[in-house]
Amino acid sequence: MAEVIIIGGGPAGLSAAGTLAKAGIASTLLEQRATLGGAIHRQPVGSAKPVSVSTAARHRFERLMQGIATPLVRLRVSTTFLGIDGDGCMLTESRTDGTVAALKADAVILATGAVEKIRPVPGWDLPGVSTAGGLQVMLKETSTPPKGRILLAGNGPLLIALAAQMIRAGNPPLMIVEAGNPLAHPVAAFGLLAHTTLLREATGYTLDVLRSGIPWKRGACLTGITARDDALEATILHADGRTEIVAADRIALHDGIRENDIGLPAARNNGKPIILKAGDCRQALGVFAAVADGERAGSEAASLLRGNKAALTRFERRIDRQVAAQRLLAHIFAPALPLPPLSALPDDCTLCRCEGRTVGDLKALLTVKDGLSGREVKHNGRFAMGSCQGRFCAANTAALMAALRPDVPAPTLRDLTGQRWPVRPVSIAALIGAASNETTNDHEVRS
Amino acid sequence: MTRTELPSSVLIAGCGIVGAATAFFLARRGVDVTIIDREGPAAAATGAADGAVSVASKRPGPMMVAALSGVALYRQLLAEGVLADLFTPRSTFIIAASDEECTVLEAHGAALSGEGVTVETLGRTALAQRFPALSPSARMGAEVKGDGHAIGYRIVNRLLSTSGVTVRRGVAAKHLIEAANGRIAGIATDKGEFRADAVVIAAGNGAASLLRLDGVMKPRKGQLLVTERAPALNASMPGSIMSGRYLLSKGSQKGGPASGRGYGLVVDPLVTGQFLIGGTREDSDARQTNDFDAVKHILADAVALVPGLADVRLLRAFAGVRTAVVDSLPLVGRWPVHDNLFVAAGFEGDGICLGPVMGQAIAALVCGEQPTLDLSPFTPSRFSACEVAA
Repeated sequence: MAEVIIIGGGPAGLSAAGTLAKAGIASTLLEQRATLGGAIHRQPVGSAKPVSVSTAARHRFERLMQGIATPLVRLRVSTTFLGIDGDGCMLTESRTDGTVAALKADAVILATGAVEKIRPVPGWDLPGVSTAGGLQVMLKETSTPPKGRILLAGNGPLLIALAAQMIRAGNPPLMIVEAGNPLAHPVAAFGLLAHTTLLREATGYTLDVLRSGIPWKRGACLTGITARDDALEATILHADGRTEIVAADRIALHDGIRENDIGLPAARNNGKPIILKAGDCRQALGVFAAVADGERAGSEAASLLRGNKAALTRFERRIDRQVAAQRLLAHIFAPALPLPPLSALPDDCTLCRCEGRTVGDLKALLTVKDGLSGREVKHNGRFAMGSCQGRFCAANTAALMAALRPDVPAPTLRDLTGQRWPVRPVSIAALIGAASNETTNDHEVRS
Repeated sequence: MTRTELPSSVLIAGCGIVGAATAFFLARRGVDVTIIDREGPAAAATGAADGAVSVASKRPGPMMVAALSGVALYRQLLAEGVLADLFTPRSTFIIAASDEECTVLEAHGAALSGEGVTVETLGRTALAQRFPALSPSARMGAEVKGDGHAIGYRIVNRLLSTSGVTVRRGVAAKHLIEAANGRIAGIATDKGEFRADAVVIAAGNGAASLLRLDGVMKPRKGQLLVTERAPALNASMPGSIMSGRYLLSKGSQKGGPASGRGYGLVVDPLVTGQFLIGGTREDSDARQTNDFDAVKHILADAVALVPGLADVRLLRAFAGVRTAVVDSLPLVGRWPVHDNLFVAAGFEGDGICLGPVMGQAIAALVCGEQPTLDLSPFTPSRFSACEVAA
């Protein structure tokens, strides 16, 4: 019997597992955190209460869970994906006991979700500054809002969604600083009428935020963060050109999401294992597309394993619809002010947090007359060489390289990050003690 | 050629450490140099090397002589400031853990001493005191003094940026262009023709097809690992470790590892606080991939000698493909048929150690001078295949 492994228990992974099960194919679904749901439907851990979500969202998650409620889908939570080796062997690490396992599979579906983007500003790497997505996962898992005065800053719909969830959880954010001005695009918003569920959820969050009276600064941006005593001070450039300094205990940044290919193997529809990608990790289009894309990947895997030709057009149509929806959202949230370019960042601003590399370090490296490749920048500047494997810095480093050298072909993210395992640091003791072709399942749960 | 007939331009195929060093020394002499590389600087073996600048594993003979000159040149370039911060002098400790390894190590230590290398032999107790991170299974050690460590890609970057030579990235050499007078006019590439007064082939495995050296060179893959920073353990290590088994296997590996894959353990404490751990010698495939079996094997060997590594995390695995010559000696010198064609390739795992000194020697040769290092053991004319080339 074919063995399929799915990495990631968000909408794409769940829907892929459900689709495979419907086709009679068994799969093992690995999720790195303790509960399923992905960033969007993350479930509470232990006795924590779930955060309040819309009826539509609750139903969507219930449907996904029903799809995997079959013995054909084995679940392993708290299991981290380490990569696929040169022989096609898949490596995982348990977050409960730290053990490493090597698994063989006929097909692997990567559904690891998106990577959150952050526009670097001086001080973005200070303690107390995190990503908004990270804060949201914490909130959903613990159902306890982070304490203190929290400032949300950046660009995109996630900021108001998080603000609304924080309001409901009892600690509204201090302020939302949003580069776009979504209320200034009524015509584009009208286009969202074609996307009922999306519009209903967006409207719900927006109304919550407006009703709460939290300062929602649109057309504004954060230009720097400094540490002062036990708090942080954020400098905010408002739409009218005024600068304001706001003191906060925590600052959460978010500038949209993008697909995730950091260290991940390339997709391939032959060989062993077949490797497919599904959901936001392939193309960041949000939950509706992720569900459709999971079904697409599940169907494609089933067809490839059986040597049939897959009929994928209907999934592609659904995904195209979400491409259109995301394009509308991007228009609605388009920055209303010209954001300071990366090249204007001061030399001492950190680009790579893991290795402590700055904008000035990159500029110094790029002074040679021939254009350095991304790989050379990585090697000689240590950008994307740290323990996050470039997750935080590779995109910004590549963008700054392109801005500083408009005459040289821009490096790709892959030039900087490479493509190799382990995709995250792993205990040497655990690697040595790793079991091969392990089939037992000690961490099976049904959440 | 005489001293007054410096070539006005030199084209180098291959931007690994050998090509970059050749360019550096030619540029120092005022020669106009262009390097072409299929990918870019240090994209192949140089970018995936263990960085040993070492005589510790060498046996008396031409490679020992070359390695001694290689280490001396690193020291000189460090003193001149060219390699400031990039060459780290440190000892190599060869560790024996069995009777057989002890015997081989004693003989090896004596051989090194005979060549003028400073070697201190340490018994179990002395070794434990000098190198507390070692496991009790370490029975004997030979501290080879005067060795050092250098990261290949950083050396290349420094040599290129200091000399200001032109590097053409993403230019794949297709074949040599012959001139009417029997000389080489340049190289035809996928980006057009590159012409120069003299041509140096420093293209590693790429040299085989350019020079039509069938059956003389072959790719030999190596897998290497880098850990996260572990400052305390790192600081406790007075030098790098090489397993005595490396000596056993090296001696028996003429022409390649018997089973397609050989292991030779080296553990190098890097200046960053990380560890570089190697490695394999594989004739099985030439892909730049790492496989779980090899990584597990290398790590198990490393932890057996340095138990503290078990508590450290593996950060990265990588692989490179070296160029091995069938008689285990590199090809360095003037090409027999063409006066203005030179080759420096086939250094297998010694490229980082020998790159600068071989680049210096080739630069001298190109400029019509006799190099200080005797290149006769490495002459390309030892392969009859050379006669038919070109």
